[in-house]
Amino acid sequence: MRHARKSLFEPGDVSAAPSVLRVRPAPPPPTGPGSSGQAALELDPRELWIAAHVPHLSLLSLPAGSSPAPLVVLDEARNPRIVDADARAQAAGVRIGMTLGAALAAAPHIDARPRDAARELALMQRLAGIAAAFTPQVSIEAPDGLLLEIKPSIRLFGGLKELCRQLRAACLADTAFARSGAQPHFTLAPTALAALAAARAGARCFITDPRQLPARLKLLPAGVLRWPEDANARLLAMGVRTLGDLLRLPRAGFAKRFGPALLADLDRLQGRSADPRRRITRRERYAGRVDLDHEIEDHDRILEALRPLLDELEQFLRRRQRGITALQCRFHHYRAAPTTCALRLAAPEADAARLQSLLRERLASLRLPEPVRRCELRGGVLTQRPLASKPLWPAGERGHAPANEMPALIEHLRARLGADAVYGIGRVPEHRPENAWRLTEPALAPVVSKDAAGDSSVSAPFHRPLWLLHAPQELDSQRGRPRRGGALELLAGPELIESGWWDGADARRDYYVADDARGSRLWIYRECAGARKWFLHGIFG
Amino acid sequence: MLETHEKQLEELLAHPSVWRGRSRAAVETFPTGFAALDAGLPGGGWPRHGLVEILTPQPGVGELYLLLPALAALSRLLPARWCTWVSPPHEPFAPALAAHGVALDRMLIVRTHLPLWAHEQALRSGACEVALAWLPRASPRAVRRLQLAAEQGRALGVLYRSQKFASEASPAMLRVLLEPMVAAGRQGARLTLLKSRGGSREPIDLTWAAAAA
Repeated sequence: MRHARKSLFEPGDVSAAPSVLRVRPAPPPPTGPGSSGQAALELDPRELWIAAHVPHLSLLSLPAGSSPAPLVVLDEARNPRIVDADARAQAAGVRIGMTLGAALAAAPHIDARPRDAARELALMQRLAGIAAAFTPQVSIEAPDGLLLEIKPSIRLFGGLKELCRQLRAACLADTAFARSGAQPHFTLAPTALAALAAARAGARCFITDPRQLPARLKLLPAGVLRWPEDANARLLAMGVRTLGDLLRLPRAGFAKRFGPALLADLDRLQGRSADPRRRITRRERYAGRVDLDHEIEDHDRILEALRPLLDELEQFLRRRQRGITALQCRFHHYRAAPTTCALRLAAPEADAARLQSLLRERLASLRLPEPVRRCELRGGVLTQRPLASKPLWPAGERGHAPANEMPALIEHLRARLGADAVYGIGRVPEHRPENAWRLTEPALAPVVSKDAAGDSSVSAPFHRPLWLLHAPQELDSQRGRPRRGGALELLAGPELIESGWWDGADARRDYYVADDARGSRLWIYRECAGARKWFLHGIFG
Repeated sequence: MLETHEKQLEELLAHPSVWRGRSRAAVETFPTGFAALDAGLPGGGWPRHGLVEILTPQPGVGELYLLLPALAALSRLLPARWCTWVSPPHEPFAPALAAHGVALDRMLIVRTHLPLWAHEQALRSGACEVALAWLPRASPRAVRRLQLAAEQGRALGVLYRSQKFASEASPAMLRVLLEPMVAAGRQGARLTLLKSRGGSREPIDLTWAAAAA
């Protein structure tokens, strides 16, 4: 049996978390923004940044469907401007940054589309996902840039060249990313901004030595810094076209004319000040799908078809050293609505065989309205999975430390019987017997000390039965004496329990201990108000 | 010459896997908490792993008191394994259990329409020290499965069944018939070992010192 399998690791939400701020010694005060003096020379390449720039991201992210006319992409402003144009449109005279009116005047037959920011972000997240295999410090520079700090990873990947080669290969190997047609341009530089600037300019840049930085940056156009438009216009008016021109400007005058924010940018560009980036942390989920060649009804066959997905899930989780506590399985039918089968686990799990055995139990209690055509598997949120060694001793031996047998048992029982079927019990300081205990979630933490193993403070004479009935059971009575298959012999009592007038479940009862004719010891009560009926409430067992 | 043969025979018979009719099997046990019962049971207590059947004419005749000291001791072992109650007839009353020294956080209650399956899982898992089950009916084959599961999981399985199954053959390791007995105002029970590997054949009388009244 062959199954067409398709699966993807959904990137889920991307939330930003601040990266570790790298502390570096304060550099000596520089003389001017562009002076390649001592400050830049002494800089130690503490960081090495790879920048990836995806040219024409907006064009690539447009919904599929080729257009015969030259394509241009517009931004979302009220007076839309061109953010991207394909080669035909550029040949026709359309330039990036033009207003739509100007573009239409230049080339009346263009096909103008609004940009799709969501798809652009999704594509960049895809790229970030690939890059995350190489370093944890990955940040997206909206909209079309990506930064990776790779200094700590160099040794792991066997050298800088090898790492870059693997990164490129990973981009090509990722089918979804390669299919989009994106061809990211990679650069390497000791500062984040320099790498990004070179990548945006499409320049070759592979430098690790900060001393080479000024020479490399010199020829890049000043526009790659993506400063505000008016600043760019003023620079152009001053005759500043390249970063080399820009860095030659006197520092004080530059700060006066353009403000401290842009001066700080120049310092970061040259590595004179720290440039921490917010790293992205990905909330990943697993999702997989298998399309069946023919419809299956048999549970074992369904499990067999799910097995490759479960194996893939295990790989996915092991690579991240994570586990899942929830798993959802969806079965699609020909006509009927899809059947959903959700599995909740007591402890994080990553083992395919265990998940399969739990699914088997869950499936046993599931009714499928029709044969299954397609199965989908979705993992829940990834959680930390404590890695434990396997015990040397078998369970029950003296040297054995309890491992995860209990969570496994609870999951196993719950998978088949439902979550409510398995519970622990606890005490509540209450006088009414029905309220003196409660259901609890089984405490999974292993008990390690004597003190934790419950307290034995209540060991005074305690006339309470071991069994409590789910609901008090009314007893027959004869001339005010209770009967249960014969007259009951009252041994002790009455013990008055009166409580609960404040919460609506008022109880006023006289409790007695009684023996019945067959030798069972019972705990019965008589209402103190109303019809003064007798009830059986507990059995001493 | 004869003496050496006898000695060799003795050595051979002392092997733990050899069991002879009247002799007491060498099993790992722990005390029941009742001196009279310890004396009557093979090995001087409840078996540490295996299946025990407790047959009663009706529920509520002291079948829980019989196990209570052992439960309390086992739930306080370190490291403590669990005690699972599979489909008990009523709710185990937490305050009373705690008052008898049972550690509540090691108790697990399972309500199910598949008590046999759940009991077998609990015994086999290795997570439980004791698994108690109340089964309305169980075929000898099912009981055999439970016995094997208990040995595999190194757990004590306790099966509460009605007295009417006393005449049936059972693969359980130990079968105890429990009958209520009220003597001189003290509540107690009379135990008969229906099946045991070398236990007492006389009925054993117990009184519940810890019980109410």
